[in-house]
Amino acid sequence: MSGHHISSAKFLWGVAIVLFFLTFLTVAVTWIHIPEPWNVVVAIAIAVVKATIVVAFFMNLWWDSRFNTILLVMSIVFFMILIGITLLDTLFRVDPIPTF
Amino acid sequence: MSETSAETKHPAHLHHHFVDSDQQFESSKMGMWIFLVTEILFFGGLFAAYIVYRAWYPELYLEASQELDAFWGAINTFVLIGSSLTVAMAIRSAQLNQIRGLIINLWITIGLACTFMVIKYFEYAEKLEKGIAPGIYYTYDGLEHEKANIFFSIYYMMTGLHGLHVIIGIGLMLWLVWKAKRGAYHSEYYTPVEITGLYWHLVDVIWIFLFPLLYLID
Repeated sequence: MSGHHISSAKFLWGVAIVLFFLTFLTVAVTWIHIPEPWNVVVAIAIAVVKATIVVAFFMNLWWDSRFNTILLVMSIVFFMILIGITLLDTLFRVDPIPTF
Repeated sequence: MSETSAETKHPAHLHHHFVDSDQQFESSKMGMWIFLVTEILFFGGLFAAYIVYRAWYPELYLEASQELDAFWGAINTFVLIGSSLTVAMAIRSAQLNQIRGLIINLWITIGLACTFMVIKYFEYAEKLEKGIAPGIYYTYDGLEHEKANIFFSIYYMMTGLHGLHVIIGIGLMLWLVWKAKRGAYHSEYYTPVEITGLYWHLVDVIWIFLFPLLYLID
């Protein structure tokens, strides 16, 4: 079949090594105790970079039809809407905590 | 391609309602991406629960995550990333018509997926032994926070649903091996390998988020 992207073995190993390194990094940053909100920000940022690498180069979105990328981006947008609207309720309750 | 008759040029894998193999492949792949969108929103509900409760009880998450062993969480992250690599190699083998390589890479992936589940089993067993069970079954008294069971309900739901996806992935890859041995896949047709690969990478991506959010709160 024509037009299918075939990654070289060297490239795929390179992607995996970058992901291994970032996994090590996300553990290593917990050893230096970054202050409160920033430790979560750093952890999520590294996870987003790793997920982007997997999606782009293992799931081949980098070479794929743009429509599939739009599908993924839309799912993230709707996930953000879910989180946003939920937090508008739960963060601003007068009597916040349910009994369970 | 010129006006050749359908009977002579029609490959066995091509369904009659597609123009050609490429169109069939692209349609399957788009269908899988739409399924992955529903998976993201499916796990999204659990991530929303995680975020809501973390905003309510930040100190609970700090305390309770100490019960999780970041070492084994990290090992499992390496195992899953390794399995993503072997799935990508399996697809590459199929694209190059190397069926032996395809089967070997699928077996390595299955082995890594089983390794992940064995580690997860020991993590669960160690906790359940101490009475760290979800919801009303929580009996552990090593944590001071009165809502400690909530963290572990979320932990068991998220990792349990993820583990279920890993088990389904193992089943799918056993099926791929079975089909590949019967010569079902070659460089012109490997759609199920590609589609299962997409599923497997998404399972990896979800773990990439679960690992720091559950194990590395410090």
